Amino acid sequence: MSIVGELLARHQVRLSGFPAPLQQHYEAGLRALAPRLSPSQLQIWSETGVELTALSLRSWEAAVEYFKAGTVLPENATWDSIEALGREAITMAAESAPLAVSFLRSAPGAIQAVGPNHVRQWADLGRRLYKGNWKSSSLAAQFYDLGPNVFQVMRVGQVSRLVLFIDELSRHSYELASACLSSAPAVLGKLDEGDRLPFIAFAVELAQSSWADSRLYFERGAPLLQKVHGPLRERYLLLAAQVARGHNRSAFQYFEEAAVAFGELEPDDHHKVVELAEQLAPYSSFAAMDFITSVPRVLQRIRIDELEPWQQAGFRILQHSHDGGEAYFRLQSTRGEDILDTLSARVELSKVGEILRLYCKALTGRNLSVQTTASLAEKGIGWVDQQKASTEGTTIFLPEVMERYTEKDENFAAIKVFATHQAARLELGSFDFRFDRSPAVFEDSRPAATEGFTSTAVTDIERFFDLFPDRQLASDLFTVVEDGRIDAAIKREYGGIRRALTRMQKAALGAREDVRRMPLRTAFVENLVRASLDGSDAVLYPRGRAAEMAQGLGLLKAVAVPEAVVEDSGEATMRLYRLALTIPNVFEEQEDGEWDSVEPMDGMEQGGMEGGGEMGGQGGEMQPGDVGEGEEEYQSPDDVDYRGDFKPELVQLLMKLRKDAQGGNAGEMSPTPLTEEQLKELLEKSMDFDLDSLMEGDLDATTGMFMSNLMKEAGTPSQDKDSKKGDPTSDQSSGEGEGEEALVPLITTYYYDEWDFRAQDYKPRWCAVKEQKLDQGEENFYENALREHAGLVAQTRKQFELMKPELFRKIKRLPDGEDFDLDGAIEWMIERRAGVYPNDKIYWRRNKIERDVAVAFLIDMSASTDEEINKREKKYDEDEYDDDPRKYLSWWVSKRRQELTAPPKRIIDLEKESTVLLMTALETIGDQYGIYGFSGYGRDNVEFFVIKDFDEHLDHAIKQRLDKITPIRSTRMGPAIRHATYKLNLTDAKVKILVLLSDGRPQDHGYGRDRTEKEYAIHDTKQALNEAKREGITPFALTVDRAGHDYLKTMCEDMGYEVVADIEALPSRLPTLYRRLTE
Amino acid sequence: MVDTAMHETAFIHAAEEYTVQEEPYYLPIADEIELFETAYAQRIPVLLKGPTGAGKTRFVEYMAWRLGRPFSKVSARTGVEAEHRKPLITVACHEDLTASDLVGRYLLDTDGTRWVDGPLTRAVKVGAICYLDEVVEARKDTTVLIHPLTDYRRLLPIEKLGQVIEAADGFLLVISYNPGYQSALKDLKHSTRQRFISIEFGYPPKEQETDIIAHESGVARNVAGDLAKLGEKVRNLREHGLSEGVSTRLLIYAGRLIANGVAPRRACQVAVTWSLTDDQEVQRSIEEVVTSIFE
Repeated sequence: MSIVGELLARHQVRLSGFPAPLQQHYEAGLRALAPRLSPSQLQIWSETGVELTALSLRSWEAAVEYFKAGTVLPENATWDSIEALGREAITMAAESAPLAVSFLRSAPGAIQAVGPNHVRQWADLGRRLYKGNWKSSSLAAQFYDLGPNVFQVMRVGQVSRLVLFIDELSRHSYELASACLSSAPAVLGKLDEGDRLPFIAFAVELAQSSWADSRLYFERGAPLLQKVHGPLRERYLLLAAQVARGHNRSAFQYFEEAAVAFGELEPDDHHKVVELAEQLAPYSSFAAMDFITSVPRVLQRIRIDELEPWQQAGFRILQHSHDGGEAYFRLQSTRGEDILDTLSARVELSKVGEILRLYCKALTGRNLSVQTTASLAEKGIGWVDQQKASTEGTTIFLPEVMERYTEKDENFAAIKVFATHQAARLELGSFDFRFDRSPAVFEDSRPAATEGFTSTAVTDIERFFDLFPDRQLASDLFTVVEDGRIDAAIKREYGGIRRALTRMQKAALGAREDVRRMPLRTAFVENLVRASLDGSDAVLYPRGRAAEMAQGLGLLKAVAVPEAVVEDSGEATMRLYRLALTIPNVFEEQEDGEWDSVEPMDGMEQGGMEGGGEMGGQGGEMQPGDVGEGEEEYQSPDDVDYRGDFKPELVQLLMKLRKDAQGGNAGEMSPTPLTEEQLKELLEKSMDFDLDSLMEGDLDATTGMFMSNLMKEAGTPSQDKDSKKGDPTSDQSSGEGEGEEALVPLITTYYYDEWDFRAQDYKPRWCAVKEQKLDQGEENFYENALREHAGLVAQTRKQFELMKPELFRKIKRLPDGEDFDLDGAIEWMIERRAGVYPNDKIYWRRNKIERDVAVAFLIDMSASTDEEINKREKKYDEDEYDDDPRKYLSWWVSKRRQELTAPPKRIIDLEKESTVLLMTALETIGDQYGIYGFSGYGRDNVEFFVIKDFDEHLDHAIKQRLDKITPIRSTRMGPAIRHATYKLNLTDAKVKILVLLSDGRPQDHGYGRDRTEKEYAIHDTKQALNEAKREGITPFALTVDRAGHDYLKTMCEDMGYEVVADIEALPSRLPTLYRRLTE
Repeated sequence: MVDTAMHETAFIHAAEEYTVQEEPYYLPIADEIELFETAYAQRIPVLLKGPTGAGKTRFVEYMAWRLGRPFSKVSARTGVEAEHRKPLITVACHEDLTASDLVGRYLLDTDGTRWVDGPLTRAVKVGAICYLDEVVEARKDTTVLIHPLTDYRRLLPIEKLGQVIEAADGFLLVISYNPGYQSALKDLKHSTRQRFISIEFGYPPKEQETDIIAHESGVARNVAGDLAKLGEKVRNLREHGLSEGVSTRLLIYAGRLIANGVAPRRACQVAVTWSLTDDQEVQRSIEEVVTSIFE
């Protein structure tokens, strides 16, 4: 009997007590193993299996798996590993049979994958997850089930880290642990071999700090990590891990943002970025990650080689102050902004726009605004180029960024040349072309040209271009002549900008295409452009045709004199046009076709060019647009960048439309408004409209849209924004009607910095303050309040009347004055006689005392002011009825009655009533005052309600607005104070006072690290009050919050404040306080 | 070089003895000279209106000189006409200037008090032109004096002495007023205003301003032209960051600096840009205009 039979027989009894499959599997396993194991080994194997069955109620199931495994053990399974398997199974089954089942089920695959020597390790890993409860057991079981798959992508050491992670996670959530575990093979499989361990290492950190993010990390982490340049991933993860180690909840967010940032960078730059970040990490891991996140945005403004200086500057700040450095790298600090600005060579229109606007205004004397070229193209009114500078008569459009040179100054000089050219067009009247105005240099040949020719043109310049059959050529010629005139004038008039202009002209010349490759007529125009750029050397023309070219250059030169006006450009254009038509647009092929430089011919009417009767192209010698035999099509010369787009037809049209829109000033040419047909006609023939790019598809639809845009543009003449610090930017243009109260509240947005006390720096343009007039409510409120406090009103009024200064007060004992003070004079005389040195202060004079006070009241309209006052009072009342129910009942009944007759007052009601009282007092004394309320939610939405502006008088509207003061939302005091400061500064009073009336500490969403933090808000408020003080304003804070002392002490260190403990006293207290403040 | 009046020692004049000796440089812009002469002949008081540095004071000086030109009348006492110049008394008004500052007061003397005439009283007595510069700045009680002097009565009451002085024949009251910068509070009252004829002073046109700058500062005419151009451009910014345009006086200062070797851009910076405003952005804009015009 073989050993197999023997063993079967031996164990039959023991196994027969279990379901049949057990025995079958045993037999199968035994037979499969028999060839590989020695009899004694087989015996041990069998005994182990049998032992398994007896361990617990369900451990026979484990035994089934054990025997099953016997049949499928891989080739490499050694006896040692088989034995280990058995031992592990027994230990495991003793604790949890299902665990052992999973373990054994996966064992063959695992042995195959991990090698026979690691069986015990593998078993240990799983056991680590097992904590003795069913959830952990199922997690461990899941781990075993996963076994082979995991080992396909990971080595044992790596798996142990994974287990560490899962284990960590399981402390918080088994579901999450299980989910991560099941996705692990797939996730890790996506990663490069070398990245897996660091990936898990970070996961472990994450599980410890913000375990909830682990799922996200497992879902999204792998592709994110792949954005980082391969060799750097580990270092990057280490950086990210440091953030997690800082117990930061948002570690994953940091990881994600920075990874996304890497995705936007060139892989070659990653190394540098990681290196710089690593420098920061020892000081603040957050700064390091924020640095990475900010790099793409920073690189929009500086070059990669300037990154290090920028980082170093921040590094120095970081070494001194963590918060300062962190804000710097988050790009939330004014200092950081400044440094970036200094480092960056490029000039941004957003930064210099205001300077250029005033500059252009100075040059032209017109109220211009400066905007980006992109915004012009957006308008869809004929300008299509996103880049080219231009002007439409009221606004100068400049490129958003200038980074042509490596130095900031040079870039600024360049954008200034752009601006100057556009401004000079307006200054020198490029758009004021008048058909019937005489030129100053040339002889007027236009009347002759128009003989017997009636024009339907809408604008003068259109009428002029109507003279030319080849409108494109005429337009090009006019452009070059006029631009030449402008440039010459700039050089003549503005000596200081000459050098920069010359430099740009040279650059423009250098960028032009070879004139010798052009057909002759095109080359003719090209040469004019060159000459207009002061590049006479660059003018080349075939010798045989030098005469025409010389004449052309002479004509161009003729407008470069101080007297020349835009009509001269027109005249020159007519002559040049005729000249150009005599030149065939062919490539030069003659033998004497050597290209040579040409000197301009002096004078402007040579060579048979006189005779105004000879009209360009009229009379049929040459048809427009006809391409003669063998002739090339005429092509416009390349644009000159700094000159930008020149669209005289469009500008004149727009000006005309504007004029019509503004009430049809009796027009010079067509007093009737334009018809759509006229517009369409103009549109179709004018060269100013780049039809090709304007039109995609239906011509009618496009022109229709274009025209409506144009009309819209003309209807809303661009407003001259008067901007100072705290730029108001109008969000809505509704309610433009003056006098009448706008139906829709007009909201104006102002931006203010916010003080970050940790960073010791301002966050630039951090808060948006939206100013609007408060809605109007009932007027009764005002009257009722007065009636209710009638006694108080009379009293305050009296007090304030006393305060009214006597206009002239006699002041005695002065060294100089209007007259002698008799007492002083007598004393003087006595002292003199007595031989004492007399006191010579013996004059009196009337000193004028002017009361010149402006006061802004800032009322807290936060939700907390909704609180009823009685509630606050209750605890004080409680003592009175000493547990006597009858007393309490009567108190309660009286309270109810009171509540029914008059609803309980809220804090805000008292604030309002106090305001009313104070207003009457202020009216008595005649101080300027403004009353404002504030509330809002978040930094982008600080609502600032105007109840009464400084320049408004107390009228019905204001009384009605008072009624509408209601609790709204949060209390972001800082920006509200800053805006009130701005308002106060607009007044010219000598004494300026800012009274802040609140019911609690400043508080808002994002006003501090989290909702519970108080310091940030208090410091910002304090800073805002300080700023006000620096502006010469006296701030005063008044609160009805009993706990107010603690923060007010910090907030108003050396400023006045008061806590009105008894809120009912507020109406009487406020005027008194005010009196004290101003006396 | 222009005479910038550099004396070894200062000349001391009694107020009513100060006359304009040399012809001051004044370039008429319109008919203001004829107007003033006619007004003077009729003894109609004159109000000069205009921004600071536009030449109001210079105009008064010029007119004093012009009106004081001798009609070859020989004085009996000295035999020469040297004293026959028109005295000019200028009072710069400030917010503490009271009526008694103008009329006079008692001063302490060794043995008691002595009455001292104020500038207005002196002018009334000698028949001088009394020029009250920036009159709205003065206290309101001064108007009490101005009113009787400016109508047909031509009287100056001196309360403390109990006297009333009839103005000497040659007396004329001239006041100046800058409508630009006074606040609404300090507007000239109509009862005062309507006692004067008003001559408006604007900034001179570019050509004339060029002449003035060239003459007063001694710079070459092309530089003076550039300065005038700068003035014109900067004045475009009025009401837009600048409350008042650059005065001719400032342009002349810039010119003097340039004439004495200061680089033009620097001269304009100190004389124009920084003098005009403290607003950095506006300063920068003006600077850009300067650098566009001057090399």
